[in-house]
Formats: sequence, structure tokens, C-alpha cells
Amino acid sequence: MPPWQIQICDDDPAAALITQRGLQTLLGENYTVTVASSPNAAWLACAHGNVDLLIVDPGAGSGSASALVRAMHAFRPTTPILVLTAYDTPGLRTKMRDLGVSYYAAKPIDLKELLPIVLAALQTVPMPNAFPSRMSVYH
Amino acid sequence: MGELEDLRRRVAELEQRLHTVQTQAETVEREAALQMARALDLNARLSVILSLSAALPNSRDVDTVVRLIIRETATLFPGTSATHFFLVDHERNTLVLRASDKPNMLITHPMQGLAGKAILSPRAMLLVGPELELALNDLEPEHLAELRHSMREWPPQSALIAPLRVDSQRFGAIVLYGGVHAHLYHPRDIPFIQALADLAAVSIDELNQRTRAAALQRDLALTQSLHAEAEARLNTAQAQLLQSAKLAAVGELSASVAHEINNPLYAARNSLYLVEQDLAADDPQRAFLTIAQQELGRIARIITRMRDFYRPTRAELASTSINVLLRETLELVQTHLRHSHINAVTELGSDIPAIIAHADQLRQVFLNIILNACDAMPDGGDLRVRTRMLQARHEAPTTIEIDICDTGAGIPPEHLPHLFEPFYTTKTHGTGLGLAISAHIISQHNGRILVESEVCQGSTFSILLPTNLST
Repeated sequence: MPPWQIQICDDDPAAALITQRGLQTLLGENYTVTVASSPNAAWLACAHGNVDLLIVDPGAGSGSASALVRAMHAFRPTTPILVLTAYDTPGLRTKMRDLGVSYYAAKPIDLKELLPIVLAALQTVPMPNAFPSRMSVYH
Repeated sequence: MGELEDLRRRVAELEQRLHTVQTQAETVEREAALQMARALDLNARLSVILSLSAALPNSRDVDTVVRLIIRETATLFPGTSATHFFLVDHERNTLVLRASDKPNMLITHPMQGLAGKAILSPRAMLLVGPELELALNDLEPEHLAELRHSMREWPPQSALIAPLRVDSQRFGAIVLYGGVHAHLYHPRDIPFIQALADLAAVSIDELNQRTRAAALQRDLALTQSLHAEAEARLNTAQAQLLQSAKLAAVGELSASVAHEINNPLYAARNSLYLVEQDLAADDPQRAFLTIAQQELGRIARIITRMRDFYRPTRAELASTSINVLLRETLELVQTHLRHSHINAVTELGSDIPAIIAHADQLRQVFLNIILNACDAMPDGGDLRVRTRMLQARHEAPTTIEIDICDTGAGIPPEHLPHLFEPFYTTKTHGTGLGLAISAHIISQHNGRILVESEVCQGSTFSILLPTNLST
């Protein structure tokens, strides 16, 4: 069993696959990256396994993803959460911050930019700009 | 002898008859002279009346009419010691002396005395003796004293009175006091004072009608210009509303399109990145990969611009007072509220700080919700607008709560979850965008909209806006 376990929750299959394959490739064999297509499945994985990081996309309707974040805080308070969303708005950012999320990135982010955020989250290192004040723009 | 006696008697008889005839001739001569004088007098009076009837229709105001009448009475009625021209003040129910043959005299009294009698009588009258005395004594003592003081001859020997009336409308009276050298008016004078009064009445009535018509014309023009102005303003406002609704719809659409594109874009770009990792540095395909990556980067930038289009830029953000905005919005709809019999009550907290916000957008939100509240109360009701400060804990950030409550139909529970979805509407002519846009704007301000509603009881929309806005 590899020492590090990363759980992805994303209902967009292609995006979820790329996050999973990309992180797996970049992080190497010491990490296991798995995908759950719904917050429910992600919660099952987190509740029963030793998940070290949850990467979640709240999607268009952020209701059930918010419930997942709340449940994680209640029952797995030590597991860091990274919100990686295609639906970035100032409102969502505030909401996630209010729910206690410390790491936040907006798609379409480059994997090479996502990697340092993931690593920081895994070590629970606070990042100065974990919450960008503007949406990230690709140059 | 007897013959001489007889002749003498006949001569005396003849003399007697001659005398009688002479006397008769004198009488006839006197009568003729009198008739001649009267004819001349009548002629003079008629020409006065004729010249008056020619002059009066050209008069431009009531004062001119009154002055003309007063001046001519001296010619028409010799022996007049005072001429009074009264007009009724309908508002105060009094008679006001508009003119007399003495300047600077002003009498105001209730409908008493000769003027009071004149205005009530159906036609011109001649008053003499006890009848005149009775009418004078009808006046209050102070009014009588005032009248006495104003006259050269006292008491008047006779008086001519005539009402000013057109159809059934009475609006004044003419009173002539006779008395110079104990002159008495004659019943022959009555038709003339009647004619004078009628002429005056018709002229004044016409002037009044003309004034009223002019005033109506002015009012009409004013109303028309106000109406045109209001219509223009309404059209502008409607066009602006329509424009902002369209813009909002476009923005809503572009924002959702942008969001939907983010996932495939993310997958495509990072797929290329992963392919690139496995490609040899000198692989000829690398050039195409670079092109694909650059083009995807271009799409990402276009998407970002599209998404930003719908978000207020920092330049449009300014210090904004929520209370002032709410008052302005209520003022904007106050006519609508009045017509809909809606009673608006405000309870605006005095401690609401100014926040950095997009005032126009917030105004649109308040307008949307208030107009929705009005629509929910077609038979009238109460609209309550309240602001207050909220703070969960002492060190917690503060929030402004804006409650807009109606006593309307309420929202059925099955509609509640969809209220803020674009194009969701229960109204026949609704676009389903009002609340969607409102929710979007509030979320752009890091705020929230909450709804509480009970069918047949009413709805409360609560807007929560943080005071430390950073967008």
C-alpha cells in the first residue's frame, strides 16, 4: 500500500481522468490517485480508507459537494481538501473558504501549476495564495 | 240797450273761450316741450347704451368693464349720488365692491343691504321710501356707517338696483343711490338700469369664460407636456431595463458557457502536457503539439474575458449606502405602489455603513424584488423594507441584512428550489431572469439571498451583504 492516498471527486469523466492520470504520472508510485464520480462515492472512499487529500469539484450545483466538505470537516477534520473547480466565482470562493477549505484552484489550471498546490496540501503547508483573489488566467 | 248788453255778454263769453283755448294751447305746448325733452333724453340714453354695447365686447378685463359702466351711469341717470358695482366672492360668500364713482373705496359685506337685495331679485327694481329704508337697515351697523361715510348725500331719496346675471348664474349687482337735489329716480329708469346690468353681466361672463378657457388651455398644455415627459422617461427606463435584462441574459449565458468549457479545456490542455512528457526532445511532432497548446491557451484567455464580461470591474465599484439605494428605489416605484394600493413601510437601520459595491446592480436587485412583491399583492397590501446589522460573534465580520417583506400570495413550496434559476417563471409575462440576475449580482458581491414564504401569508426576501466586500 503506497504511503500517500489522493481521492478525486469530479463528475466530469474526462477532467477527472486527466487529474488522476496527470497527478499519478507527476507524483510517481509513492502515491495512489483514485477517482469518484460523485460526492457520495468520494465520501465512502474517505470514510473507509486512509485518504490523505481530497480534491473536489463542486460542479454546477455545489450543494452535494458542500455537504461532502462539511462531512469531511466533521468526521475527517485532519484530511486536507483542495477545491479544483471549473465553476469558479467569487461567491463559490467565499463559500468554500467559509466551509474551511484551505486550498483552491480554478480550471483550466496546468498540471505543473496544480502540482505544487497538491504537494503543499498533502503536507498541510499553508500557501500564501491558496485562494487567488482573481481567477487564474493562463498565459 | 238790450242789444248792447247782449254784445257785451258775447264778447265776455268769447274772451272766456279764448282764454280757455289759450290755456289749452299752453298746456299742449308744455306737453310738447316735455315730450321733446324726453325724446332727447331717451335718445341720449339710447346712444349711451349703444356705445357701451359697442365698447364692452372689446374690453380685455373685468376692471375695464366696471370702469366703463361706472362712468356712463352719471350720463344715464342724472341725480345719482353714488354708483356701486359689486361682484360676488363665491368662496367667501360675500359681496366685494369692485368699483364706485369714488376712488379707493372698498366695501366687503355679506349678502345684505341693497346689493344683497339686488342680487336676489330677478330683475332691476326702483326702491323709494320705506322700502329703501328697510333695505338699508338690513345692513350691519358698521357696514351702514361705512356706507353713510362714503356718500355725499344722506339718506338717499331713491335707489335703482339690478342683478348681474347670465342664465341662472348670479355674479354681482349694480346699486345706484339717487339723492342729489332731492332727485327721485323714475320707473322709466328701470329698463335702462336693466339693460346696463345685462350688458355688464354678459361682458363679465364672457371675460370669465375666456379666462377659464385660457387657464384650461394652459393646464391642458402643461398636462400634455408632463405626460409627454413622463412617457419619455418611462420609455427610457423601459429601454434601459430591457437592455440590462438582455445584457444580463447574455452575461448569464456566457458565464455558464464559459464554465462548461473549463472542464474540457482543462482535460485537453493537460492531455497535451502529458503527451509532451513522453515525447523525445527532437521529435518532429513536437511543433504541432506546441501549436495545439498555444491555441488552447488562446481559448482559455477568450473564455476568461467572456466570464469577466459579466462581472463588475473594479472601476464600477464605489462606496454605496444601502439605505440611500433602497430609498431611491422606493421613490422610483412610489406611483406604482400608490396605484396598487400598497402601503410601504421602511425600517432602515441608522448604523448601516457604506459598502464598496456596484450601486446600479444592487438597485436592479432591489427593484426586481420590490416589483415581484407588488406583483404578489394585486389587491394591495403592506410592503416592509428593513435594514439591520448582523454579527455572529464579536470578532466575526459584519453583515448587512436587507429584508423585503410582502403580505401577498406567497410562493408554493414546489417553486421555492427553482426561484433563482434562469428562465424559471410562474408569471404569464415573466422572463424568469429577474431573480436569477438578482442572485447572480448578490453572489458577485459575496452576498446571499434567502427566501421565506408561506402561501396566502406573504414572502420575505432577505439579502445578506458582507460589509468587507472584495470582488
